[in-house]
Amino acid sequence: MASTACFVIIVSKNDIPIYEAEVGSAPKKEDLSYHHQFILHAALDVVQDLAWTTNAMSLKSVDRFNDLVVSVYVTAGHTRFMLLHDSRSEDGIKSFFQEVHELYIKIFLNPLYLPGSRITSSHFDTKVRALARKYL
Amino acid sequence: MAIAESCVDAVVMEMVAVYCGGLYAAKPELAARRIEAIGFQVGHQLSERYTMERPRFSDHLEAIKFICKDFWSELFKKQIDNLKTNHRGTFVLQDNRFRWLTRVSLDPYTENRDSTENDSAALGDTAAQTTTMLLYFPCGLIRGALTNLGIPCSVSADMSNLPACSFVVRIKT
Repeated sequence: MASTACFVIIVSKNDIPIYEAEVGSAPKKEDLSYHHQFILHAALDVVQDLAWTTNAMSLKSVDRFNDLVVSVYVTAGHTRFMLLHDSRSEDGIKSFFQEVHELYIKIFLNPLYLPGSRITSSHFDTKVRALARKYL
Repeated sequence: MAIAESCVDAVVMEMVAVYCGGLYAAKPELAARRIEAIGFQVGHQLSERYTMERPRFSDHLEAIKFICKDFWSELFKKQIDNLKTNHRGTFVLQDNRFRWLTRVSLDPYTENRDSTENDSAALGDTAAQTTTMLLYFPCGLIRGALTNLGIPCSVSADMSNLPACSFVVRIKT
């Protein structure tokens, strides 16, 4: 099965994007990164409302744009993991988010990391892409 | 685990000693703020770590209960003994045997039998002051954890009956 491009972003409590990655393989006919960013950023408004209606961390698919779907995972500290994808296994997406959450916590507990700042660790980036290949 | 706990005890005591006896010897208020800020950052990060496996909180009371049970168990190996509230944003968390104070002594006579009464008073004051400084770190821990969960607050500690300790949490609105 040909995998479609996915886009992952992590947004901190104060609406600052701290990590972005385009994962998966897709023919690069044009640069769609900004297009994907707009979709995910627009979905933040939906997340803002949905987060109050449940205490589950996984909000599943919160928004849709043509054939692209936005899935979101919200932590207790209101950090949001957002994934733009086509239709996929929900279990895989949930596992992906949980593993990324674990990676994020390892970064977060680093005393030299400023909470809310951009994650620049190449090791983190490598791991996230590996998890994307594994679960998505 | 016991070794890790001894390390934490030693680090906390050394932090207090450095800030009060060294860096800010003449400015106890600044030392207190610095120690509390360190506790704030640690609490901020630890609460992210300890909430990883549980659903998010839907109100303030749930978050306070998380601090009393899970957070306290992880840090001090027991739950808070008593939680009181006036239902207007103030919570009192009472730990009847606060782990980080169980080895603190306020009896100067056992350390200096030949001291005069004045010297004893001075030693007593110094011991009480040191214990107060020790409590700024756990106050920062609680404030950092709650702030990360979306509850800005101020925290103060009362240690009238050692080794019992009360933390007063005032939620800001």
